[in-house]
This record gives sequence, structure tokens and C-alpha cells, in this order.
Amino acid sequence: MGKILELTVEDKLYTTKYETDSRSHIKVNGDLCRTCSSKPCLRFCSGDVYKINPSEPDQVTVNYENCLECGTCRHGCPFNAIDWQYPDGAMGVKYRYG
Amino acid sequence: MSAEDTVKVDAIVVGGGPGGLAAALTMAQGGLEVILVERGEYAGSKNVGGLFYGTILNQLIPDAFKQAPIERTVSKRSITYLGDGTHMSLTFGADAWSQPPYNNTYVVHRAQFDRWLASQVEEAGATLLEGMVVDGLIYEGEGAGRKAVGVQLRGDEAFYADVIVLADGANCLVSEKVREELAMPGGKIKQEYAVGVKEIISLPKETIEARFNLKDNEGVAYDFLGVPFEGLIGGGFIYTAKDSIHLGSVARIESLVESGFTPSGLNDRFKQHPAVSRLIDGGELLEYSGHMLPEGGYDAIGSLTANGVMIVGDAAGLLNMSLYKEGTNHAMESGMYAGQAAVAAKEKKDYSRSGLALYEEKLAEGIALKDVKKYKDLPDILTSAPELLSLYPKKINQLMVDYFTVNAEPKAVTQKAAMKNFMKDMSKIKLLRNAFKARKLM
Repeated sequence: MGKILELTVEDKLYTTKYETDSRSHIKVNGDLCRTCSSKPCLRFCSGDVYKINPSEPDQVTVNYENCLECGTCRHGCPFNAIDWQYPDGAMGVKYRYG
Repeated sequence: MSAEDTVKVDAIVVGGGPGGLAAALTMAQGGLEVILVERGEYAGSKNVGGLFYGTILNQLIPDAFKQAPIERTVSKRSITYLGDGTHMSLTFGADAWSQPPYNNTYVVHRAQFDRWLASQVEEAGATLLEGMVVDGLIYEGEGAGRKAVGVQLRGDEAFYADVIVLADGANCLVSEKVREELAMPGGKIKQEYAVGVKEIISLPKETIEARFNLKDNEGVAYDFLGVPFEGLIGGGFIYTAKDSIHLGSVARIESLVESGFTPSGLNDRFKQHPAVSRLIDGGELLEYSGHMLPEGGYDAIGSLTANGVMIVGDAAGLLNMSLYKEGTNHAMESGMYAGQAAVAAKEKKDYSRSGLALYEEKLAEGIALKDVKKYKDLPDILTSAPELLSLYPKKINQLMVDYFTVNAEPKAVTQKAAMKNFMKDMSKIKLLRNAFKARKLM
């Protein structure tokens, strides 16, 4: 079987087109993240935006440029620690097929 | 700013998906001056879909299916259970589905389809304002008399209108805010969401037609449940486009979090099932996408009208998440009614909540809300009887495989063993109770 079955999420996101803004449309409240041991954001995000901060393992980094703007994080974070706003006009994900 | 510089129109629509576009089209056709604001670079650039039911589309634009960018028309559907190394399908179709208007069931690339629909809306006289974000509404008055009078564009001025149609989709930040600010009553339950991801996989047209046994522009809509989705409230789908395949998975967010799968990882499990992988073998990924679906159903729908405001489509929660998976057509129907209500409100010069009451009246008499109501117990059933999506199809699949296993045993022995295996771990009382629940799924 071919390559299509072996793509990582990074490979997949590489096919998605974006207009990347210079500033993030997502802010996380690190004080709340510190109290969160399960960190479901590492799993529920369709765009693999949230990753453990290697230098501070109780914190997450936000790769906002990967965001598919689905909004799952606004409902999936148990502490409402994620402040997600629409990116500026014409910025962010830009589907060609959709 | 002087009064002459202020932009004031009859209606502003927030969001350029099918719901907002249907509203804008209806209002423009009804003689209203309309501005539609879309935050993406073009209408459709933030939208994800595939299976498109076109009854309202073909009503709003006669014979739209002849000119719309439709990839394929759906001539064949199937429901497949994916077991551990086994599979079982129910495939069905009708000759009539290959004849115009093709059962009103189409496969589209939404980024292209919505953009086309927006061009039709523009031709009808509405103004499209693309690449602009609405941060919130502007109000006048206090208490019960408080009314929306305009929209605040991010980093720009405010635009004013007598009525504002909110069509900001599943991820509806504006609608959520307005609900609070105008104290619009919510539904009986909180809205629940599923997350879906999709891969668009390119394959030569001829390969698709040979693999799916299709002629000309015929296409398939296949639904999947089973082992890749075990423990989840969710499933997978394959839709054929002209020279690509839409392959995606959808799961309720809480169930996904519990399972430990990522949305992309879940789609990999689905894609890698042997009954699925052969359908996309040799294909190349064209685009990966993610989107959310409001799955709370009828009980999660709150009030949809306030002074100067109507909410339509996914933002209103008008999705039928049963096997029909009907969202866009409902969005268009609600958008059309909201548009009609705005036209009537202009005649009466009354844009208050009661002046716009026609919207919810039409919605109550229409199809979308009736369909969503018919499946109002579905979220509950799927949570309380997970056997319906996992154990039972698994058992039936195993029974079929055991029954048709050809070996050195007499058939009577094979069949007896198959039945014994089938009844193992099956509680008859639960089976009865679940059979009763399952009626509501159909």
C-alpha cells in the first residue's frame, strides 16, 4: 500500500493552504494549564496546534499557524483556558477544496 | 463621521456559507439592499463539506444543478460496518438517481461551490464584503427594547442595517456573543459538538469510476462505522468527486477525548482498514481540513430571533446528524425563511422580534426543523446504547462471515456454531430495549 496511508499530521497539514498572520489569534492561560494534568488539547485539535512546551512540561505551546479554525478547542478545553478569536480578515486557513 | 458617510443598508448578513448566501439571495431578490460580510478571502475559504442536498438550492435558483460546480451526482449509497479484518455493507441505489435532478444529492468541493453561490448572490444585487471580520453587533436601547442596529468590522468602521442575519456557522463566535447580549433564550440542553477531519485524495477519474463502478458523472456516498470508531460517537465517510475522493471521520468531542485518539489519528485508523485502503490506494493527498458540527439536535436549539437579529444554519444548530447528515440544505432553508421574514418586516417597517416572527413560524412549518425534531432523541440514544453502533453490527458481521465460512464441516455444524457465537455476550433484554430505541435512528 502506498504513501497515502503513512502520512503524519504534519504531512497532511503541509497540503493545507494558509495566509499566516504575524500575530496569534489564540491565547492560552498558562496558570490554568499548570493545573491541568490531562491536557486534552494535545489530542482533540484537528490541526495539531497544541504541543507540550519542552522546556516547561506543564505548559503548552500554540502553533497557531496550523489552526484549521474548527473551534474544537473552544469546547474541548475543560478549564476554558483557550481564548480563540477569529484571525484577521482573509488570514488563516484558506481551503481550495473544502 | 457625518451622517452621509455612515453606511446604512436594509440588511447585513454575517457569514458567506450556504445559510448566509441563501438569506442574502432571498433578500436581494425581494428588493432589499444587502451587504454580506465574509471573514475569509472568499466565500467558501473557511468551509468544509462534501455531500450536498440541493432541494432548496434548486428552488432558489431554478435548475441550479445544471450550472453549479457539482463534482458528481450521487447514484449509489452504502452503509458499511468495518470489523476486525471483516466488513459488511448494505449498498443501494436507483436508476432515477442517475437522472436529473439526480435525487438532489451531489458531491461538491465547498470552497468552490460556496464561491460560485456567492457569485450568484452578487449577481442578484447583494454586495459581498470578503476578507472582513465582524467582531460584534452594535445596539440601541436597553432592556427588552434593546435592538441590534449594526455590525462592528474589525479594524474598521461600523455598518448599520435594519436587520442582521447571523450565519457564522458551527464555530459561531458572533452568534454566541449576541445571544448573551440580547439575552436570547437558549435550548433545553447545551449545544454539543463533534469534530470532523477530511482528506481530499486525488485519483484519476477512470480509476475512481472503475473502483466504485460508476458511469459518467455518477458518484457514491458511503458511510462507515465499526472498529476504527469503537467507543466513539462517530463514523467515517467516503464521497467521490470527479478526480478525487473525500475521506473523513467525525466524532463527538468528549468521546474523542476519552478515546485518546487525535482527529487525524482517527482518520488514519479508518483509512488503513483493508476494506477502505484499497479504495484510495495510489492516491495523493490534495488537502487536509477540519471542521466542527453542532450535534446537540433539536433540544439544543434556542430562540433564533431577537430585535433586529435572526440566526440561521449551523449557528442555529439546524443539523440533522442521522444517516442523512443534512446540514447545508437546512442552512439554506433557514436562510431563505430569514430572508423572507426580512422582506416582510421591511413592508411593515417592523424589525423587532415580533416583526421578524415570520422566520420562526416558517421554520416550524418547513422541513429542516421537522427533520431535526424527528431525530431529537438521537444524541441520547447514541450515548445510552453504544451497542447500536458497535456490538450489534459486529455480531451480525461475524454471523455472516461464520455462516459463509467454507470448510470441512457439514453446513449444519457451521451454522450452529455461527448462531452460538452470535448469541454469546448478547443480553436479550438489552437487545429488545435497544431495538426499541433503534427505531428512532431510522
